Amino acid sequence: MATYKLTINGKNHSVNVDEDTPLLWVLRDQIKLVGTKYGCGMGQCGACTVHINGKATKSCITPISSLEGKKITTIEGLSDNGTHPVQEAWKAIDVPQCGYCQPGQIMQASAFLEENKNPSKTEIREAMHTNICRCASYNSIEKAVEVAAKNTR
Amino acid sequence: MKNIDSKGHVTGTSIYIDDIPTIEGTGYGVVFDSPCAHGKIISVNYSKAKALPGVIHIITHKDIPGENQIGGILPDEELFASQEVHFQGQPIALIIAESEQIAFKARKLIEIEIDKKTVITDPREAQQKGQLIFPPRTFSLGNTKDSWKDCSHIFEGKVDINGQEHLYIETQGAYAQPLENGNIKVSSSTQGPTAVQRAAAKVLNIGMHTIEVDVVRLGGGFGGKEDQATPWAIMAALGTQILRIPIKVILHRMDDMRMTGKRHPYSADYKIGLNKDLKIVGYEVTFFQNAGAAADLSPAVMERTLFHATNSYFIPNVEATAYSCKTNLPPNTAFRGFGAPQGMFVIESAIAYAANELAIEKQQIQKVNLLKDGDEFPYGQIAEGVGLSPAWETLVSKFNLKATQKEIASFNKTNDAVKKGYALMPITFGISFTKTPMNQARALVHIYSDGSVGISTGAVEMGQGVNTKMLQIAANIFSVSANRIKLESTNTTRVANTSPTAASATADLNGKALEKACNALAKRLKTTAASYFKVDVGTIQFKDEQVLVNGNTSDVSWNQLVDMAFLERVCLTENGHYATPIINFNKDKEKGHPFAYHVFGLALTEVTVDCIRGTYEFDAVKIVHDFGKSMNPTVDRGQIEGGLVQGMGWMTLEEIKYTKEGRLLSNSLSTYKVPDVYSAPKQILIEPLETEGTDMAILKSKAVGEPPLMYGIGAYFAIENAIKAFNPAYKSTFNAPFTHEKVLMALYN
Repeated sequence: MATYKLTINGKNHSVNVDEDTPLLWVLRDQIKLVGTKYGCGMGQCGACTVHINGKATKSCITPISSLEGKKITTIEGLSDNGTHPVQEAWKAIDVPQCGYCQPGQIMQASAFLEENKNPSKTEIREAMHTNICRCASYNSIEKAVEVAAKNTR
Repeated sequence: MKNIDSKGHVTGTSIYIDDIPTIEGTGYGVVFDSPCAHGKIISVNYSKAKALPGVIHIITHKDIPGENQIGGILPDEELFASQEVHFQGQPIALIIAESEQIAFKARKLIEIEIDKKTVITDPREAQQKGQLIFPPRTFSLGNTKDSWKDCSHIFEGKVDINGQEHLYIETQGAYAQPLENGNIKVSSSTQGPTAVQRAAAKVLNIGMHTIEVDVVRLGGGFGGKEDQATPWAIMAALGTQILRIPIKVILHRMDDMRMTGKRHPYSADYKIGLNKDLKIVGYEVTFFQNAGAAADLSPAVMERTLFHATNSYFIPNVEATAYSCKTNLPPNTAFRGFGAPQGMFVIESAIAYAANELAIEKQQIQKVNLLKDGDEFPYGQIAEGVGLSPAWETLVSKFNLKATQKEIASFNKTNDAVKKGYALMPITFGISFTKTPMNQARALVHIYSDGSVGISTGAVEMGQGVNTKMLQIAANIFSVSANRIKLESTNTTRVANTSPTAASATADLNGKALEKACNALAKRLKTTAASYFKVDVGTIQFKDEQVLVNGNTSDVSWNQLVDMAFLERVCLTENGHYATPIINFNKDKEKGHPFAYHVFGLALTEVTVDCIRGTYEFDAVKIVHDFGKSMNPTVDRGQIEGGLVQGMGWMTLEEIKYTKEGRLLSNSLSTYKVPDVYSAPKQILIEPLETEGTDMAILKSKAVGEPPLMYGIGAYFAIENAIKAFNPAYKSTFNAPFTHEKVLMALYN
C-alpha cells in the first residue's frame, strides 16, 4: 500500500492503495466516479476508457503508480452537463442502446477528435475499433463522430 | 421521441448494478466453481480459505434452508453442486469477504478432489447414448415419405452451427440488502425479476412476498440474463439471509464466460426435395441441440427451432424432429432469436446445397418458395399479412438488385485476388412466448396530484428502448410532455408475476397493459371534466396539457383537472392487465396458433473477400423490413442494426471453443472475438415495408428485438458466394461460423 496524489477532473485526490491497483478501480471504488465501466479487465473492450493527459487510455490496465502528476479526465469531467460536442452528437443521433459502453466510446472519440479535426471514414474506424459495443451501435457511432467533428470545426 | 436514457448514458450518470452505492459493511461474494466438467465430489477443503483474514463466510449447499434447486422449466440444476459436478464452471460455493480481492485470494486456497467421469461435449454423441434433457419432439405437415416421388431433385446433408457468447459488456451481478423483519431486497441485473424472486423464495425457503427484486436497467442482456441472472442474485440473497449484511456478487469477465451458458450449438441432418419448377416439395430435418448440463431454457429454445424450421418458405410436406442433448457444457440458454436462427440456418444451408448441385443461384429457389397469405405453417397456424414477396419486389427495385449483381460479376472478372459476393436472406419470425400463459403483463400508473405521472411495468430496459416506448404511450394518451412522466424501475412489489423481458414481446405486452391503464385514467378524468363543463364526456380531449371541449381550448389545464379530480376523490391510480388474445398451442398435437403475428423482411448482404488472406469486409447490408407502423423509428433502426451485426458476428467471427475435457478455451475477450466497428457493414440501408401493421402489436408497431438478428445469416452465404468466384471447386461444408481461417481453407481446398 502507498499513497498516491492524483488530479482527476481538475480536483486533487489522495488515495492509499496497492501500487498495481488499476486506475479503473481507484476511480470506481475510492473516488466513487462510476461513469467509467468495467468490461473485461484486460484492455480489450474499451468500456473503461479515460483521458490521461488528453490521450485515450484503458483504465483497467493502467496501474495507479504510473499516474502521479498526470491529468486524468473521466466521463464525469468531460464537460458540464453533457455539452461536449461529442456528447451533443451522441444525443442528437441517439447512439446509445444499453449505454454501458458509451462513456468509453465517448472518451475514445473525444480524444481522437482533439488530434484529428477532420477525420475520414477510414480514420474514424481505425480510431474507434478499440471499443466494443455489444448492442452494435457502430454505424451510429461512426455518424456521431462525423457530426461531432463537423460541429467542432 | 428521443431515447429518454440518452443523456444519462452520454454523461456516465445512468445507474447499472455495480454503480449502486455500496452500504458500509457490505460483503463481497466470489463464486468457487468446478475445475472439472464431470465427476463426483470426493472432498472440498475450505479450511485455509476460511482462515484468511477478511473472509467472512463460505456458503455451500449445506447452508441452503430450502431447496438446492434453480431449474426454471425442469428441476435439474442445483444452485451449489452437492454430490456431483456436470460442467466446468459449475458453482460449488460462494466466498464472502470484506473485499473482492480477499475473496479471490481465498478462492485459490480451496482444495477440491473430484473423481472424474466421462465428459461428453458433442450433442450427437449424447443423443446416441440416450442422454437427453427431455423426450424429442416432431412437428409435421403433409407426408414427407410420400412426397419424395414427386421430386425431381433430392439432396441430403449435414449442418453444424456453433454457439455464441452473449458478452453483454456489463457482466452478471446482483446486490442484496437486508430489510426489517427478515425481508430482503435484491437489486439484480436480470431480464426476469420474477424468475429471480420465485427461485430465491424456493432456495431461501421464504415467501415470494418477503423478497423484493428491483431492476433499473441492464448493460446488455441479449437473453443471457433471462434465466442465468438468477444464480448470482440468489447467492447474494442467501448470503444476506444468513449473515444479515448486504452482499454484492458481480462476476468478473472470465468467471462470467466460464460459468454461464451461451447460444446453443446445433448439429442437424436434412433431406430436401424439389420438383422441376424448383418448388420445395418435401423437407425432413433432425436437430441435435447441445443443451449443456441442465435444461435451463433449452426445451423452449428447441421448440422455437421447430417453429422456425422452414423459415420464410411454404413447404407442403415437412417433418422436423429435435433432440435436446445433455452434455457437459454450461447449460446453454436464451440468446436473441432463441433457437430460430439455428433452424433458419439449416434450411438456408439445404437450399444453398441444392442450388450448388443444380448449378443455379440460391435466390432462384428462395424466390419461388416464399410463404404467401393463407399458407399453413407446419405447426398449423395460417400465414397472414405476409410481407415476403412485397419485400422481395421492394428490394429489387429500391436497392437495384440487378445492378448489384452486375457490378459484382464485373468486379470479379477484373480482380483475381479479391472477390465479391452477395446473398439474400428472408426472415419470418413469430411473435409471442410459445408458452401461452407467459403472454400477459401488467402496468401500474399513478397520476400525482400535481399532474405528473409515474409508470411501473414488468418491462426491463436493456437497451431496446422499451422505457422510451412506454413513456410515449402514456404521453400520447394524456398529452403531457415527456419530462412530466417518470419510468420507474422494474420492481416486483409494484408489478408482480412478470414474464421475463424476452421473446421480442415486451413492448407489446407491457405497452398494451399500460395503454389500458392510461385509457382508464383518461376516461375517469374526462368524466370529471365533462361534469364540470356540463357536457357529454365524448366532447372532452386533452391536448398539450390543456383540456379541450368540443375541440376548443378551455380554461382548465391538465394540472387543474387532476387537482379537481383528486378533490372529488377520483382514483388517480390504475393497474392495467393485458393477455394476448387468440393465441393457443396444443403440445399433444403440436398444432395451434402460437403467435400473435409474424415479422417479415429481406436482407441483401454484400461482401468483399481478400482471397490471399481469407479476410472479409462487408460492403453493405440492404434491408427491407416489416415494422408495421414503427412507433419509434430511431429506436427500431438501432435494433435492426444491432441485431444484424450480432447475427453476422455469430455467423463469421465468434468462435466458441471447448476442449474435449469441457474446458472453455475462448474464455476472455482476448480469445473470443466479437464484432468491432471494422466488422460492421460499411453501409446499412433500411427500407420500411409499407404495411398496415397489426392490432396485435402495440400501436401497430411490430416487435423488433430479435427478428433482425437472422438477417445476419446472409453473411455466411455471401462469403460462400465470393469464395465460389475464386475457387469453383469449392464444396460447401455448412459449418458456422465462417471464420477467416475457415475462409482461407475454403479458398484453397
